[in-house]
Amino acid sequence: MEQLRKTVFYDKHLEHGAKIVEFAGWEMPIQYAKGIVYEHLATRKAAGLFDVSHMGRFVFRGSDSLAFLQHVLSNNAAGLEVGESQYTFITNNTGGAIDDAYLYRFYEDEYLLVVNAANRQKDWEHFDNMLKDFEHVEMFDRTEETVMLSLQGPRSKQILNPLIDSGSLPEPLRNRLSTVTIKSKRVLIARTGYTGEPLCFELFINSKDALMIWDLLIERGAEPVGLGARDTLRLETGLPLYGHELGRDPSGREIPIFACGLAKFAVSFSPLKGDFVGKAALKKQFEAFKRIIYRDYSFVEDLPRIIMPVAATGKGIARPGDRVFASDKHVGYVTSGTMVPYFKYVGEGLQSVLTEEKQMRSICLALVDSDIVEGDQLEIEIRGKRTDAVVVPYHLRSEAPPYARPTAYDNIFKEKESVSTANDLRTKALTLLGKTVDNTLWRQRQCVNLIPSEQTASPMARALSIMDPAGRYAEHKQVKAFAEAEVFYYQGADFIAEVERLLEEQMRIFLGCSEVETRLVSGQMANAAVFSSLVDYINRSNRKSEPKRIGRVLNHHIIKGGHLSAQPMGALRDFVAHDPNTEKPAVVNFPVLAENPYKIDVAACREIIAEYKPELIILGKSVTLHREPVAQIRSFVDEMSLDCVIMYDMAHVLGLVGPYFQQPFAEGADIVTGSTHKTFFGTQRGIIASDYQRDNLRWPLWEAVRRRAFPGSVSNHHLGTLLGLLMAAYEMNHFKDEYQKKVLANAKAFALALKEAGLDVAGDADIDYTQTHQVILNVGYSSGPEIARRLEDNNIIVNYQAGPEEEGFTAAGCLRMGVAEMTRFGMEEKDFQEIARLIGNIVVGAKNVKEKVTGFRAPFTDMKYCFSGNQFDAIMEKMHRII
Amino acid sequence: MIPKELRYLQTHEWAKRGKDSGIITVGLTDYAIEQLGDIVFLELPGVGEKVTKESEFCTVESVKAASDLYAPVSGEIVEVNESLTENLELFKAEPYGQAWIVKIKAEDIAEFESLMNAEDYEKQLKG
Repeated sequence: MEQLRKTVFYDKHLEHGAKIVEFAGWEMPIQYAKGIVYEHLATRKAAGLFDVSHMGRFVFRGSDSLAFLQHVLSNNAAGLEVGESQYTFITNNTGGAIDDAYLYRFYEDEYLLVVNAANRQKDWEHFDNMLKDFEHVEMFDRTEETVMLSLQGPRSKQILNPLIDSGSLPEPLRNRLSTVTIKSKRVLIARTGYTGEPLCFELFINSKDALMIWDLLIERGAEPVGLGARDTLRLETGLPLYGHELGRDPSGREIPIFACGLAKFAVSFSPLKGDFVGKAALKKQFEAFKRIIYRDYSFVEDLPRIIMPVAATGKGIARPGDRVFASDKHVGYVTSGTMVPYFKYVGEGLQSVLTEEKQMRSICLALVDSDIVEGDQLEIEIRGKRTDAVVVPYHLRSEAPPYARPTAYDNIFKEKESVSTANDLRTKALTLLGKTVDNTLWRQRQCVNLIPSEQTASPMARALSIMDPAGRYAEHKQVKAFAEAEVFYYQGADFIAEVERLLEEQMRIFLGCSEVETRLVSGQMANAAVFSSLVDYINRSNRKSEPKRIGRVLNHHIIKGGHLSAQPMGALRDFVAHDPNTEKPAVVNFPVLAENPYKIDVAACREIIAEYKPELIILGKSVTLHREPVAQIRSFVDEMSLDCVIMYDMAHVLGLVGPYFQQPFAEGADIVTGSTHKTFFGTQRGIIASDYQRDNLRWPLWEAVRRRAFPGSVSNHHLGTLLGLLMAAYEMNHFKDEYQKKVLANAKAFALALKEAGLDVAGDADIDYTQTHQVILNVGYSSGPEIARRLEDNNIIVNYQAGPEEEGFTAAGCLRMGVAEMTRFGMEEKDFQEIARLIGNIVVGAKNVKEKVTGFRAPFTDMKYCFSGNQFDAIMEKMHRII
Repeated sequence: MIPKELRYLQTHEWAKRGKDSGIITVGLTDYAIEQLGDIVFLELPGVGEKVTKESEFCTVESVKAASDLYAPVSGEIVEVNESLTENLELFKAEPYGQAWIVKIKAEDIAEFESLMNAEDYEKQLKG
């Protein structure tokens, strides 16, 4: 009999009191001295360290290696850029899995495939057989000369990061890779894992360096975790285990790959992939699967059962093989199940806090009939006795870093609180009025408002917003039959028609351009209208076929401060094409400087533009400290003769357009969009602007903008705030010189004072941290929400912000602040210095200074940069009385 | 640390004869508990149920598996340790004390006397 193998960590396992078992020919720790329950909870609360060196590691090289992998694996390997990895299946001809695996592309010309230890030999033999049809592929088994460690849990990043002496952790997105050195030894790191922990790292290390790395991680607080807890963690996460959710079911039948929920990510029918093992069978399963989602069971014989997470509601532990019933009908089997520990949370939402109180829950994964749906009541036959259970959508969620969040069934299927019947609405109305007054006085007179997206419009602009024609309609369109004259659909619109014309004029003056569209009611809507216009424009020669979408977009990724509207998960989604290579929206992101992630790396940007040839470039950010390199981008686009629209979303910085910040059209932008209510003085609206003239080749794009504004985005374009915006535009054009200089000076003074107060200010110290109205503070990984809350309790209103290194907003480690609103209320450099000291007291000193803040704000209640004088006072008096 | 005054089954249950001499208290030895790992579930039998010597009367579950427990004597279950099901940590803390599982009224007390003593059980463990 072959001798059992040991990984290089064997003695370390024994040191920690491991119970060793035989697993796939290896002697592995099932648990250590403290036990499975402890190890599971230690991973969820702190960090678990797993020796997974027994897993197979195959390396593929050669010019045909991609073609080979496309043939034997289910996912689209061509979609992997260097530095990315993907989950995939090793398929057989009948639509089942020989194994599940992970494919990593650490290097340009080499692929690493990690397979289950139990299937390593089977996988190797299968590949060996399949390699006969491929010429230039070399396959190596690197299992013996490398080791693999998995480090998972909320503290894993702070344990690992300080050990790195060169290179850095992969980007905070799942499946990303990087290469680093630890104590000068090379380590490959992947943000992958089998535990559902949002902070997850798998390390590939040379065997000779392995023990040193193990010791360093243990020293820094990682808990060794064995195979027992590895299984309970992955079960809680709903991840499949070969032999249970893949391979053969308890009755001996092959489990179709699409029975696993992950198949929809890990199986690709991309035409770039070509034919692959099992494609025909998988296609059938996929067709059945798509219909089953809509509760159409017409193809159900191709996918009769699906793996679902099931929670026991009665007593008992479901085990693999237990039969599952729905209303006495036998509908399937438990594939994995056990009792799993979790920590209780107290509080709700973002404020919820992990306690030390441990609870247990009986959960499982079950392969059940495809017509079973979430919420269905089931019975599990546990050692002859039936126990009640319910189908849940998931047992755990990973989208709120730094913790994985277990979700018990009674929390998912909570009863909605009953709505109180509409009694005594008079009292409710009165209460509403009272509370509104209180809130307004609080915010306007007692708070220091530092949210950069916010502004208070002048009393005049606000008053105008509620006068007639608020509540009216004035839809209009340019009609070519009347030489492009505006034709109005409604009566009583002469006043507002003139207002709108004047507003366009004022905005053209302010922005220094020839055309402005003002009917949008928000910045995001303005952006969506531009995307829609571009789609309209690129299809103008062919209105009969299915419209094509924008082929490739270059934008700021949201984690680097890009706005929602420019992301595929935001407004951009319906307008950007899919890249058949990656099978994802065809978006590429601006590269940023390593030493300053808030600034575009212009040189690297040039390479990206040359390689990807975007049709639309979206500059402008939500988290913004620098001017955008409009002129440089324009020069690259012109140099490469690209047919590309350069758009600058100036939402945050619209009010700063001018000689002290940027002049977008002079610098080469094609289109500018903006929110009119951040640094600009306006009511809450959006605008689109361009400098196109009638004789410009792109003039039809501007005509498309007009159409996609109305009727594309609005019917009613909110005439009240339109009127208010004209006043704001007059104020802006009249006072901009003083205002813009003051905002920029205040921002720098504020940043410097915060630094002085002992806080960590983001950005480039050489330019006093900021070139805009914004100042960013680093307050520590995942401390953002709590510190923002604390500041609010002291009447200082800022917002917490996820920085470029954070995995999600719940782990936000920054505060984002802007000086524009308080500048409008007359604050100057010395005032912002005082605010900085107060913030220092709260953040660093943990003091309560609410009284001081309120007292500080009290004298700043008159707005600056407003028209004033007796005539204005008289007419304002009149307006107050009219409403 | 095998308590000298108790009796034992090969299957690692311990039995104690009460002062009220017909009642036998049953539990698990610390060896068994150590082997099981974390105990995560206990299904107690009902009061009044009849049990047979060396037949299963109860199941204790760890993360990985369910284990049957065997009765040391035949008789009727007169008391079960309800609070143990909510405090499974007692198994590790007090295997011979607060982690008793059931009390059986023995049909034939001779069955108790014929059980292994501590010395023999210890030999079996070393064996």
